[in-house]
Amino acid sequence: MIDLIKELTESYGPSGREEEVQKVVLKHLEGHIDGHRFDPLGNLLVWKKGKSDKKVLLDAHIDEIGLVVTNIDDKGFLRIEPVGGVSPYTYVGHRVRFPKATGVVYYEGETPEEQKKNLSNLTFDHLFVDIGACDRKEAESIVPIGTFGVYDSYFYENGKYLVSKSMDDRIGCAVLVEVFKNLKDPRHTVIGSFSVQEEIGLVGASVAAYDFSPLLCVAVDVTDSADYPKGLKRHAMALGKGPAIKIKDRASISHRKVVELLEQAAQKAGVPYQKEVLTFGGTNAAVLQRTKEGIPSATLSIPTRYVHSPSETVSLSDVEGAVKLLVSFIDLELEL
Amino acid sequence: MYLKELTELDGVSGDEGRVRDFIKEKIESKVDGVKVDVLGNLIAFKKGTKSNRKFLLAAHMDEVGFMVTNVEDDGTLSFAPVGGVDPRVVVGKHVRIKGEVPGVIGYKAIHLQKRNEILESPKYENLRINIGASSKDEATQKVEIGDYVSFATDFRCENSRATGKAFDDRAGCAVLMEIIERSERFEDDIYFAFLVQEETGLRGSAVLFEQLQPNLALVIEGTTAGDDPGLPEHQWATHLGDGPAITFMHRGYVVNKKIYESILQVAQKYDIKHQPKRRTAGGTDAARLAKTGGGVPAGVISVPARYIHSPLSVIDVDDFKNTVSLVGKILEEGEGFAR
Repeated sequence: MIDLIKELTESYGPSGREEEVQKVVLKHLEGHIDGHRFDPLGNLLVWKKGKSDKKVLLDAHIDEIGLVVTNIDDKGFLRIEPVGGVSPYTYVGHRVRFPKATGVVYYEGETPEEQKKNLSNLTFDHLFVDIGACDRKEAESIVPIGTFGVYDSYFYENGKYLVSKSMDDRIGCAVLVEVFKNLKDPRHTVIGSFSVQEEIGLVGASVAAYDFSPLLCVAVDVTDSADYPKGLKRHAMALGKGPAIKIKDRASISHRKVVELLEQAAQKAGVPYQKEVLTFGGTNAAVLQRTKEGIPSATLSIPTRYVHSPSETVSLSDVEGAVKLLVSFIDLELEL
Repeated sequence: MYLKELTELDGVSGDEGRVRDFIKEKIESKVDGVKVDVLGNLIAFKKGTKSNRKFLLAAHMDEVGFMVTNVEDDGTLSFAPVGGVDPRVVVGKHVRIKGEVPGVIGYKAIHLQKRNEILESPKYENLRINIGASSKDEATQKVEIGDYVSFATDFRCENSRATGKAFDDRAGCAVLMEIIERSERFEDDIYFAFLVQEETGLRGSAVLFEQLQPNLALVIEGTTAGDDPGLPEHQWATHLGDGPAITFMHRGYVVNKKIYESILQVAQKYDIKHQPKRRTAGGTDAARLAKTGGGVPAGVISVPARYIHSPLSVIDVDDFKNTVSLVGKILEEGEGFAR
């Protein structure tokens, strides 16, 4: 599974530009699904038929946060704006990867005082990108305005933890892929939605379930794990204590019955789990539950440190637990 | 060009009737069908020669403005903005209430302000509309709570520059009307949607999917220029005179890649002046269309306008004409567009 996570997290797929990652997903799912299609927005939908007439939709978003080029100056330096919730601080001195170039991000300031001021109130208007171009023309030919970029970051194993960019939410994609690999003759039909444009407003998942009318949905996404020095108070999530069954975040309240079923599935499979109340944030469950006449939905989270940074950190044991939990979940009777 | 007539009509969000009636009368005989839906959207239909796709062209009829919230004892009117209006652009302006009653919005004279007060932004709580009434009784003979208020701005055109209110998005409505004027048929079935309540949260477009199930859409807008002397050039969103602005991303939606690139290709193929929209702030009905029903992928093409959401915006008429050309050429591409 580590190779899969490495390949998925190192792939390029900012919101609206998810094709490369979807290809990776499809490659790994070959032979493990009964069919797939892309919907009008570009969501990749895959399915495996079950014995019952019940349908379960599992969602993971395939996009990651990023940057987009908004201007190019005469000397070939780029200006950028964020794609999704990106802190400008995570990019200072770091690198951004475009499809045809990698650039260094730095901040402007014409005096030491101005540099200090800009750094303490940093906005994207202070940042520029250096792709090593000589002039506007050269830069435009490599990264025209409207080109999307992502953190230039790589996957590595940090002790018992896994570190990379875009664990949010390639780790969810990896979980879904592994679940499909483990479904030999599933009790219920399982639909997997690798949804686009989550980071800029839960766009893809708003329509992903429309044609399927599933019995219930589970979004698999990361949640903030603040188990580090002076991390956020009031939050219980921690790495290594198992996948987190979300009760509530700012965008949705998990359907109570789906929560109970997820807990049953965890107990049946002997998977340790934690319960999650996040005081901010949201996942695709928020829009899945509002599709058509409403679909009972919940989120299963992978606790993650340093979310929306180039070094998002998860514990492999939580990820493996999530896979076992969901396989066990699909084998429940699923009476709502 | 219907820019003068369209921008001089008053149609604040929820009160689009005058604009709708005008457009309906002008286009009715030139399309295969026209209807007004429950929310007030005007939807016209033109059958295609192949009819394999439903192509939606959308522009919103509503403009930002105000609503009367109370009639005060002294005969002045309290009011609140409908849509996003900076209170600083409101002071010292002529307004029209329900399309007929003239009024002015004033502010205390500079003589009565403290030095530092002059630099402060006025607050809506402290602003009043004066309609020349000297008592509540006199005022309520002409207006009541809930009446809509628009800026009263005449359209003017000098050389290639035009000024007026509500280019956001009567410019888009005017583009759609120009396309409707053309007599030929295109390969795709075309739906022309003149939408309500965009400025209050992309509301009219929320009900299109259930009625039409479009396969793709183009949203035609009047958008921010931002090419002001006070802003460095790299912070401009668009520049007047550089042609229609093509959006790759805005709030809540990254424009479908195939549609974005196909728009650029058509513009290049026919050598139509165009520019990328270079800021991602602000949203359009494209974000709502993406998230409704089974999802409608949309592109966004805009006429750049300086000082939008104010009583006086400025456009370049050539940008408008180039937008009409670009949209026309896109439709002529037929099924080859964004395929």
